[in-house]
Amino acid sequence: MEEKKTTKCGGGFLAFVLGFLLSVVAGWVVFPSLLYSELDQPIQFSHKIHTEDQGLTCDSCHFFREDGSYQGMPTNEQCSGCHSDVIGQTPDEAKYVQEYVQKNKEVPWRTYQYQPDNVLFSHKAHEPFECTECHLDVAKADKAPKYYENKLSGYSRDTMKMWQCERCHAENGVSNACHVCHK
Amino acid sequence: MGLDRRAFIKFVVGGAAGTLFTPIPWKLADDASIWSQNWSWIPRLKYGALTADATYSKLCPAGCAVKVKKVAGIAYGVEGNSANELSKGGVCPLCATGSQMLRSPSRVAGPMKKDGDKFKPISWDEAEALLAEKLKGLKGQDGKVAAISGDLSGTANEVLSGFLAGLGSKSYFYMPADQTAMAKTWNGVMGGSGQIGYDLEEADLILCIGADIMDAFGPVVRNQKAFAAKRPMEGDKALTLVYAGPVRNRTAAVADKWVAVRPDGAAAFAMGLVNLLAKSGKSASLGGFSEFADLAAKFGPEAVEKLAGVNAEALKDVAKALFTAKNPVVVVGTEPGQGAGVALNAAGVALNAMLGSLTVLPEFPKAVASAPDRAGLLAKDLVGWLNAVDAGKAPAPEVLFVYEANPAYALPQAANMAKALRKAGTLVAFSTFMDETAALADLVLPAPHPFERLDDAQNPYGLGKATYALATAVVAPEKDCKGTPDFILGLSGKLGVDLGFGAFEDVLKAKVSAIGADWDALAGGAAYVSDKKGSAQASLDAGALSKALAGIKGEGLVLVAQAHLNIGTGKLATPPHNLPTIRDTELYGKDVFVQMCSATAKSLGVSEGSKVKLAAGGADISARVSLYEGVMPGVVAAPLGLGRTAWDPYTKGKGDNVSKILAVSAEPGTGFSVWAGSAVSVAKM
Ligand code: SF4
Repeated sequence: MEEKKTTKCGGGFLAFVLGFLLSVVAGWVVFPSLLYSELDQPIQFSHKIHTEDQGLTCDSCHFFREDGSYQGMPTNEQCSGCHSDVIGQTPDEAKYVQEYVQKNKEVPWRTYQYQPDNVLFSHKAHEPFECTECHLDVAKADKAPKYYENKLSGYSRDTMKMWQCERCHAENGVSNACHVCHK
Repeated sequence: MGLDRRAFIKFVVGGAAGTLFTPIPWKLADDASIWSQNWSWIPRLKYGALTADATYSKLCPAGCAVKVKKVAGIAYGVEGNSANELSKGGVCPLCATGSQMLRSPSRVAGPMKKDGDKFKPISWDEAEALLAEKLKGLKGQDGKVAAISGDLSGTANEVLSGFLAGLGSKSYFYMPADQTAMAKTWNGVMGGSGQIGYDLEEADLILCIGADIMDAFGPVVRNQKAFAAKRPMEGDKALTLVYAGPVRNRTAAVADKWVAVRPDGAAAFAMGLVNLLAKSGKSASLGGFSEFADLAAKFGPEAVEKLAGVNAEALKDVAKALFTAKNPVVVVGTEPGQGAGVALNAAGVALNAMLGSLTVLPEFPKAVASAPDRAGLLAKDLVGWLNAVDAGKAPAPEVLFVYEANPAYALPQAANMAKALRKAGTLVAFSTFMDETAALADLVLPAPHPFERLDDAQNPYGLGKATYALATAVVAPEKDCKGTPDFILGLSGKLGVDLGFGAFEDVLKAKVSAIGADWDALAGGAAYVSDKKGSAQASLDAGALSKALAGIKGEGLVLVAQAHLNIGTGKLATPPHNLPTIRDTELYGKDVFVQMCSATAKSLGVSEGSKVKLAAGGADISARVSLYEGVMPGVVAAPLGLGRTAWDPYTKGKGDNVSKILAVSAEPGTGFSVWAGSAVSVAKM
């Protein structure tokens, strides 16, 4: 009896461990790939060409307006200053000119860190920080990074979470009162 | 080891326990909460550049220079334009919600025709054809076509009145205001030219008789700025403000002195001041002044006390202050800004002339040559005409145009006036909103919201200098509307009435060039201000005025209606954003409150909160009593702007319309319709 009990117990324990391990692996490895859709930008934009070859800086395109509001992604108005016609060799540039500039349509860029409307994030207030403290470092990338869209929430995987904002505020001695970010 | 039932359960339990050490449950719970932010009906913010475009707002008759704030081209807010003389960066609570009113649920979406009890949409071409057909047979017959305008300063009136003149009609009327009452006095009875102005910026003493300059008289925002400029928070006061009127209103609240004057005795009070100043040796170079001074002699301090309720000392103090001030200005008007009788206005003109502060502004040249003169039209008596139509003493028009006005709601004896309007064969409302007049109309032709249209203002009443401002369309129209003057120009082309222009923009360009102003500067938000003065030649008609003054009784219970910009105007119902600014002592639930002092309440046998019925002129309203010692005895004060029967669910059916019980009578000697300080009866319900 005793022996049998031990055997049974050991088998049950193994099943438990197996279930435990499998779900841990599924949770950490499989789940993320199921949760996110891997998407590309509508146009393969090379930051490298613009920064290294053309000598542009981040704020040539991502600038503050006179009133302090942040422009975010550049609009056709800015891009067509150079790209009213195709000037380079890449197929994506031709696609951009034909499908967006000429049709007077804005590119539906995917924003890696798009915040919901109930968050008021002021870039101006965070100007002293390096862009890359929050954003992906794309300045030298030849290809736009993959965009991971959460299938359930619809937000980007890289969208900053409230705890991240709060931690940074706490570390920098900035108030974490609700109204600081939620108006 | 086989997978028996027990092992399977342990496997599942292990799996479940394992998930707790993975992101799965936590991430899913978090994502589920974020997912709820993405439901399709949740409004999305519009992102884009913030801009502020300058224009001139005609949301209310005052008119102000404003900037419409936009994000990515969508209007979301309004601020004053500090670069403009008119309002110097100020804005009132009505315009502050102007951009929200672009999307008001009561906006008229497109042209509509009455079909039984309902409206059916029609096209602009159909509307034009329908009216052209109706008007064709009426050409050349006076009185068959008439128009009522609520825009007292716009060149649009030249297009409309020129069109009526071209059809052979003289029946063009303006909505009553302090300005029309003054025009009747100055341009009509006194034979003056130009427009009376008030140079508040230069004044060191402002005496307001009736005129609520902070809330209802003329360009209120400019009035407030002129006051504030000389009353710094720190440092010396360079201006004294005295308010003479029956209620401690928003002007009295900031005044140095409030002199309680019965509303029916305002003219007697002004004549009392004329008398004291004349006795001190002041005179005026107006025709007939000595007869007028003789007439004023009848208004000694005792007579004024009896007629206006002002004691002799208070009257003498005001006269002394006027006498000793360097640049005193007397502003006459009424608490609701609807205009008093000729007697008060004439006394006001005489006082300013005696004090050396009579200001006359020249009229700007006309753009539409065939349009009748503005001053003559302003002097006409709309209420008198509609009363005659109602009584069958004047023919009802076949076609009646109503432009930028809501006479069915805002005129005194409103119910009677609405009845008279309905006698018109075809009532056409050019209105941005579905107001009470539009609801009555046969044809509703939506005018663009003031921020969506090209418009202008010449000499807005109350200013001290000849001023012209241009309004430009700073936002794209959100509805299928059309500028009324452009519609009229199209119609006039169909009827062979040549106004000399095909588009309203050309009319305004001609106006601006006739004035000698710069179009681009005006379109950029600047005002054109001229130092030119008009002629101050005119005559006081002591005969007519003595009859008018003889009618003052100074007894009984009188009603004073008050206009408050936050509640709205006759033309504009309370914007939804302003509802929280209405006090519990003005409206509570569905009850409007009337204010009276405890002595009056006691004599009527009512107390705080009593439900009462107020009756006058054959109409009545129900209200509740609010006790306020800032109302002089013998006076009941009631707010205008409530009791809407049209508009939107936020305003409709709240309170009652006090205009219904403003009883109209003809001023003796001048025949002008008056209702300021009309008698009222109050009975407990
Ligand atoms: S007074 Fe107020 S509502 Fe009227 S135009 Fe000026 S800001 Fe606008």
